[in-house]
Amino acid sequence: MLLAKEDRQMVPSAFDDISYNLCKRRDDVLMMSADLAHYVDLYKVTKDLPDQYVEVGMAEQNLVGVAAGLAKAGFTPITSTFGSYASRRCFDQMVICMGTSKNTGICIGFTPGITSPAPIHHQGTEDLGMLRAVPHATVIDAMDVTDFAQALDVACDTPGLVYMRGHRGSTPSWLDAKSFKFELGKTYPLRTGSGVGVISCGHASQWAVEASDLLVGEGFDHSLLHVPTIKPVNEQEIIDYCFAHDQIVSIENHQISTGLGGLVSEITSKVGRAPRITRIGVPDSWAVGGSVGHVRQHLGLDAPTLARRIKEVMQ
Amino acid sequence: MISNSEKRIKTLELWAAKMRRNVVDICMQRGGYAGQGVALSDVGACIYFDEMRPDGSGWYHDRFVNSNGHDTIINFAAMAEMGIYTLEELRTMGADGSPIDQSPIEGARGFEITSGSLGTGVSQAAGIALGERKKGSDKRVICLLSDGELHEGSVWEAFMFAAHYKLSNFIVIIDNNDLGATGKTSDVMAVEPVRDKMEAFGFAARQINGNSIPEVLDAFEEARSTKDKPYAMIADTKIFAGIDVYQDAIPFAHFVGANGRWDTGHLEWEPGWQEILGKIEHLESELAAME
Repeated sequence: MLLAKEDRQMVPSAFDDISYNLCKRRDDVLMMSADLAHYVDLYKVTKDLPDQYVEVGMAEQNLVGVAAGLAKAGFTPITSTFGSYASRRCFDQMVICMGTSKNTGICIGFTPGITSPAPIHHQGTEDLGMLRAVPHATVIDAMDVTDFAQALDVACDTPGLVYMRGHRGSTPSWLDAKSFKFELGKTYPLRTGSGVGVISCGHASQWAVEASDLLVGEGFDHSLLHVPTIKPVNEQEIIDYCFAHDQIVSIENHQISTGLGGLVSEITSKVGRAPRITRIGVPDSWAVGGSVGHVRQHLGLDAPTLARRIKEVMQ
Repeated sequence: MISNSEKRIKTLELWAAKMRRNVVDICMQRGGYAGQGVALSDVGACIYFDEMRPDGSGWYHDRFVNSNGHDTIINFAAMAEMGIYTLEELRTMGADGSPIDQSPIEGARGFEITSGSLGTGVSQAAGIALGERKKGSDKRVICLLSDGELHEGSVWEAFMFAAHYKLSNFIVIIDNNDLGATGKTSDVMAVEPVRDKMEAFGFAARQINGNSIPEVLDAFEEARSTKDKPYAMIADTKIFAGIDVYQDAIPFAHFVGANGRWDTGHLEWEPGWQEILGKIEHLESELAAME
């Protein structure tokens, strides 16, 4: 299976190594920040590879505009900031400067959704919907250090705008690095079963695994599908998965409109007669602030509540 | 005795006159940003036919980013002279199904960026300038923007960035025509004193008459010799400068319709067309006499 059976580890400051190793391998890659480098674990590149680091100050529009310019000069720019800023403060630059270009431009939004402790202003819970509405954009929401690092490698060779959600701080290493291979658009069954199919992406795939652990313990039949590529996703894989189950539950670290649940609903509605889809995430409301655990509990996204909500769809 | 410099200026005046002719030719069909294009032809001629160094394969070693979509009519007007676009193609601008956009999309022949969302070009041009310097290239990057674009905060982010990184290969030309979409820039939201602001942001800056080719050339020369700073050429231009009858008819127009109409006035295309054709003929004979 793709999930490592034992040894579920946490990797501290994962992006520090991911970014450093990437820059060491590819001298065309430039890491960029808008005065948040250390807040997204960018230490080694800034210190040891200063030629591959561009600081623009607290100016996200300029961050993305300059990145697009660097791409037009032959570099592969990777901008980093919080997801709330990456999506809201420079959306036009992502669309116009990167989205209409054939050059690769990568924007990573860290502490996405409710993984930021500061409510509303730091919690970007609508970015996936915004970005997947951009023609030809690539949108990735990885679940752990393994698919995040692999997806970033793929992003570096993907033309046009690539928006990724990032992981900062202590990051899980749950996928089996030996068997997992990230491919753009591919969906990944993490647990097989029938009855309820649980589809998730990004940090919410961690939450889905946690809930699934409880359900496995209770003998509740279900399966898990991790969807790291929001756009362009392999629609046939989504359709095949949905029609193999009686009920579908989507879990996402995002508003339940326009994100993964919306995407799955759109895809299955093209076929019709799909199983019912219960969308779980941030339900058209402002999330509270606080630790992720606290916010998850508040929204019914903690493992026990998620497990209960998954079971409920069969009642 | 005719000096090289006199000949150079006269040659550029002829290029500028031909660009004006092309601007009018295009705008007569379905309307367009004629006033800006005519006014910017002197600056445009200096960029395309003097300042940028040819790359030997029909394009340029240096890079030109036109941030202001409305002003890209001068790119088209110049490229028509270079044979990159035909006037036949350009005359379809504004027609349904035309491949020619009034504000071109990145990838269109001769355009570095998608320029229609104002203010987004300066950061990109600064990024290109930084990138070229990182590669060890001596390419220079010219970015044209309008005074109205100074309303956008992102351009000031870009100016700060260019000065911080000491991008001396970076020149911004601010088309200071006191014209916005709905009125005079000075009425809509005042931007002056532009030169002081650019200097305060760390640029070497000079304010010139943007309809004087010698002044534009001098500013470019000063830009080339500026070290450790980006350069700002604040080019004061006058809408329709270079075609007198249009200035008399509509001294102020953001967009002139094919019928010559703007909400505060009306012009007849034909007299201006004849005026510019006459100027071209005159300049050609003057240049021939210099040979």
